[in-house]
Amino acid sequence: MKQIALYGKGGIGKSTTAANLSAALAEDGLDILQIGCDPKHDSTRMLMHGTWIPTVLDLIREHGDENIAVDDVVYRGFSGVRCVEAGGPEPGIGCAGRGIIATFQLLERLGALKGDVIVYDVLGDVVCGGFAMPMREGYAQEIYLVTSGELMSIYAANNIAKAIARLSRRARSRCTLGGVICNAKNIEGEEGMVAEFARRINSRLISYIPRSRDVQVAELNRQTVVEYAPESDQATVYRELGRTVYANQKTSIPTPLEMDELESFAFEFVQV
Amino acid sequence: MNSSPSPLNSSRFEGCTLTGALSVLTEVRDAVCIIHGPAGCAHHNFSLLHATLLASDRFEIPRLLSTNLTENDIIFGGEEALEATIARALSLSPASIFVLSTCIVETIGDDTEAVCAKPRSVPVIAVPTAGFLGGVFDTGIRNALLSVASLAGPGKGKPGLSANLIGEKNLEYDVDENAAEIARLIGRLGITINLRFVRGLSTHDLARLGSATVNILREPALQAVGEDLQERFGTPFVDSFPTGLSGTCRFLEDVGRACGIDASGAIADERAYQEEMLERFRNMAGSRVSFQTVHPMLGADPVAETVCAECARALDLTVAPDGVFVPFPYPSPVGTAGLRRMLHGWRILIRG
Repeated sequence: MKQIALYGKGGIGKSTTAANLSAALAEDGLDILQIGCDPKHDSTRMLMHGTWIPTVLDLIREHGDENIAVDDVVYRGFSGVRCVEAGGPEPGIGCAGRGIIATFQLLERLGALKGDVIVYDVLGDVVCGGFAMPMREGYAQEIYLVTSGELMSIYAANNIAKAIARLSRRARSRCTLGGVICNAKNIEGEEGMVAEFARRINSRLISYIPRSRDVQVAELNRQTVVEYAPESDQATVYRELGRTVYANQKTSIPTPLEMDELESFAFEFVQV
Repeated sequence: MNSSPSPLNSSRFEGCTLTGALSVLTEVRDAVCIIHGPAGCAHHNFSLLHATLLASDRFEIPRLLSTNLTENDIIFGGEEALEATIARALSLSPASIFVLSTCIVETIGDDTEAVCAKPRSVPVIAVPTAGFLGGVFDTGIRNALLSVASLAGPGKGKPGLSANLIGEKNLEYDVDENAAEIARLIGRLGITINLRFVRGLSTHDLARLGSATVNILREPALQAVGEDLQERFGTPFVDSFPTGLSGTCRFLEDVGRACGIDASGAIADERAYQEEMLERFRNMAGSRVSFQTVHPMLGADPVAETVCAECARALDLTVAPDGVFVPFPYPSPVGTAGLRRMLHGWRILIRG
């Protein structure tokens, strides 16, 4: 079983990438579990054709964790992809990070963490220990950073690389960086810039996803691109991403950039 | 912290902010204290307070409620649990309610103060007591005293000169003996005790807080409370209960000065009383003693060192490393009566 996690700045397209990646892998006949780890709980929505599935934490809150079965939390979406949403507290109260930990403990107890590939789709930043949960021992061994060529997005990716580097120093840790995915915003020289960032943090660009109208149209129709426009170039890109990730054996311990390195990197690529 | 089995050596004045605050707030007898946190935070304090009450023959149950937070409350926020527990507390018809926060609720950012601020039939007061915020036991006592003081009104006190005792150590074994000693000492100046703030009070009694002539703090660590009360009620304060022979006379002088009365007669009387007391221990003269902390893990209290050295001089004891082991008192004995109890202990040790 391969367990991967997608991290990156909020709004960068992690959920879109994760859902299309899951859809592409499922089409190849693999058993996929996608877990949305964000209180917004919209990671699997396109796989579920727009349906908001009940979140694990809502179920725990309403019924208590003793009275929950696998079928209550796992829902089958496009091409049999099994979908889970962790959910979380209302904005501005409680502790969403602890919610992620509780969700993982429940899924583990229910024996739900199985299949050929588990895709963890995690919220923007690793703001606390709870959101680093998917990186910990026994969960995702490969982390994929999703970023565009925008500096704030690269800055966030670098921060996540710090968390990976820290966690990988632990004795039993198996968490490594699988690669960097560039989800393009149509910035000049974007692919080269992200590829160079990946190289400098001791990783590599494993996929360049061009900006495409197909993504918006598919989402308006509440589907992944792979399902809505299976013949499109964009669907081909996601299928290639799926195969690359599935076959990927080459991972690394990242060497995140210091702030001044990040700034000078920016100067090299941005026209002032 | 301490392996000596003697209850007198148990270190009750260290530890969590929460415990410090509860040692004060549970002495408002008609109040209910709510501990906003997991059940364990309430349980350990309940046990300590209950045991302390029993040790002073008070067969009461500490009026503590816990919001009993569990993991779901931490994830989704504990404010609903607090609302429910305040409702439960109100059903017990208290005169006031104190809500104490714990580490976890401060960490997840529960707005305890906002929940407490809603209008209710009795005052509901939030007391910040999360231990991890850097506070210790003393911080808890200070925060609790200031919180209780917020309930004070312009009530009438006893006529004539009177004093409040501020921040007595309710967990110490000698708490009532020490209060009696202060009453004896200030009695020499014609001053009576107005309010023991906070010991054995009702919420209604708090109205009298501002009407004393002087506030007497239990120890200098309560300086901030003394200043706060001075600012609010104009009451001057003496910053500590007395320790040592000369310290006790100095205390009378300080109280006299704060109340604008001449203490010289009272001091002369007290000196004579101290001589009389020392006379009973003269048979120890010439003994060799060695003062040490009770346990290597407990630090030495400089005040206790001064008090011991002074008494050793007064009784012609020789302090030498090969002398009889005599532990430093903890906390330091209060007044002349406290010294008498301490010297009894010394004599038992010296006679073997």
